[in-house]
Amino acid sequence: MAQSIFNRKTQKFIKVLPQAVVVYVLLAALVITMLGPYLYIFSSSFKETYTLISIPPQLFPEKFVWDNYTYILRELPFSLWFFNTILVAVLVTVGTVFIDALAAYAFAKKQFWARDFLFGLMLATIMIPGALLLIPAFLITNKLGLLNSYGGLIIPALANVLGVFLLRQFMQTIPEELEHAARIDGCSDFGVFWRIILPLSAPALATLSIVVFTSQWNNLVWPLVVLNDKDLYTLPLGLALLRSEFQVNYGITSAAAFLSVVPLVIVFIFLQRYFLEGLTVGAVKG
Amino acid sequence: MIRGRAAVGLVQLQPCTDLQRVFFAAKAKSSEFHSRKSIYHWARTGESLQSGAEPMTSATSSSVQSGTAIASFWKRSDVRRNVGAYLFILPFMILFAVFNVGPFFWALWLSLIRGDLVQPVKPFVGLQNYVSLTTDNITLTVFKNSLQYTVSVVPIAVITALALAFLIGNKLVRFKDFYRSVVFFPLLASAAATAQIWSYILAPRYGVMTYLLSFVGVPEIYWLSDPTFALYGILLVEWWRGIGFHIILFLAAMLGVPEELHEAARIDGANAWQVAIRVTIPLMRPVILFSVVMGTIWAFQLFDTVFVLTNGGPVHSTATIVWYIYNHAFRYGQVGMAAAMGVVLLLIIMPISFVQMRVLGER
Repeated sequence: MAQSIFNRKTQKFIKVLPQAVVVYVLLAALVITMLGPYLYIFSSSFKETYTLISIPPQLFPEKFVWDNYTYILRELPFSLWFFNTILVAVLVTVGTVFIDALAAYAFAKKQFWARDFLFGLMLATIMIPGALLLIPAFLITNKLGLLNSYGGLIIPALANVLGVFLLRQFMQTIPEELEHAARIDGCSDFGVFWRIILPLSAPALATLSIVVFTSQWNNLVWPLVVLNDKDLYTLPLGLALLRSEFQVNYGITSAAAFLSVVPLVIVFIFLQRYFLEGLTVGAVKG
Repeated sequence: MIRGRAAVGLVQLQPCTDLQRVFFAAKAKSSEFHSRKSIYHWARTGESLQSGAEPMTSATSSSVQSGTAIASFWKRSDVRRNVGAYLFILPFMILFAVFNVGPFFWALWLSLIRGDLVQPVKPFVGLQNYVSLTTDNITLTVFKNSLQYTVSVVPIAVITALALAFLIGNKLVRFKDFYRSVVFFPLLASAAATAQIWSYILAPRYGVMTYLLSFVGVPEIYWLSDPTFALYGILLVEWWRGIGFHIILFLAAMLGVPEELHEAARIDGANAWQVAIRVTIPLMRPVILFSVVMGTIWAFQLFDTVFVLTNGGPVHSTATIVWYIYNHAFRYGQVGMAAAMGVVLLLIIMPISFVQMRVLGER
């Protein structure tokens, strides 16, 4: 009996083996394709200048050197760009999530005149491509005197329509009884929002935070049109500048590109779930 | 085990269905208005529970008799009780008006004038910018490039993603979450960083790509500096950058298909290939359509990668619609032409977005 089960298992194993080999070879190719470029620039960032352009290319540097990193940190305002990116991304994230949550609470839980009209209007603006709004948004930012400043990077980014949609959907699922109980205990409107709705919306807030933070961290176009001063540059803009100024010094560009990705990779490793959930949310704007 | 996986898949797709609900919730609002009045609401206002739907009607009818529209508006109980709601939406609405709605109408106006960004008075030229768009050589190149890019990248990305999703979704594969994380990695990097990474890989002579292709006998290709190949070099980079999105969506949808359906098909004598074509893919259709639509919308708005890698060159071979808008507005001082191009982009995107909404609505 035991013998025959063993035989059957072995037979089954032998039967799927060729398929399993093919599947795992293809998966290995997939992993190399997806992660290879990252690993390659990571290894290249330690290469000496002349080994960067050796033929055939070296997968691992002959000799590890820190020159590229010391160059971008000492000679270029890279640490400043890093700081700017973190500052802007964090402030935009906190501001957007708060402002969106306020609006979403009203749209989810309150009745007011013109609510459906306003909501429909917001829905319609999703279709507008960002490039069309770029010029007038620039002119308005200019009129507000915000060009070439942190404010110019942060304030126009604070109203996120998709964030309101996401949070409103989530808040609608919060039972009204909780709200009523809080009100009977004497909570004000804002008290209900702050003590009941916000804490209960934590998963949606986390997803939105990730979406906003990532898109700010990677935003190129808006900083490109708003900023002049190299000291105010964010990482994507700095990288674009490096590309034009250090066209062929791939050691420097590799080191910079690698450093710019590391923080998001770390956040991703810890908060993967929210990244995956946010994927389709962020997708709608494009 | 399978159940668990399927549930994970559904959770990830939630935002899609959410949007659908958003979309249709608006329609259902008027009926919802009465039904959602809560017990607390009545307790506070002292209105009787039986006449639940009454307050608004009576307020409306009394308002007809009581003088000015504003006063009657204010007397409507629902308005007066919910002034607080406006305070909640106020910060958002101000920003939304200043940086979304306002710019939209301003952009429409800008497409009718001529001038640069700093010129205080810009002459009105009517539809002349739009006429110029159809005759200008560069614009025709730009349209051709964007179209060629879109019709290439979307099918390639969606089909490869589908194949890869089937690969990861294969029953023999363990630790599916690991592979899902792996394909997410390229989505993390900014377009600028991705461009840096790939400019080295695609570099002529000493680039890794040239080296690898030499093994299969492909001669050296100047991916980013040959006008014939530059657009495909960009396509390759963007494929790498975006493929994870499609794979993850497909994987979620695929693992959400009930295992019973597969088994039923197999009992009926279908082989793995037939199950995929006849059962799994038809059930994934809404997600595939969503992917195609999103891919198309992104493809028409391609800019970052082009800006960093080739800046539209060589000889405009990678000049896209958004590249045109950026350059004409911020470098060549032709705001009117740029805005007109933006409106054309809107007209291209709008029907596609509409399909997107419909797709989401159907699900």
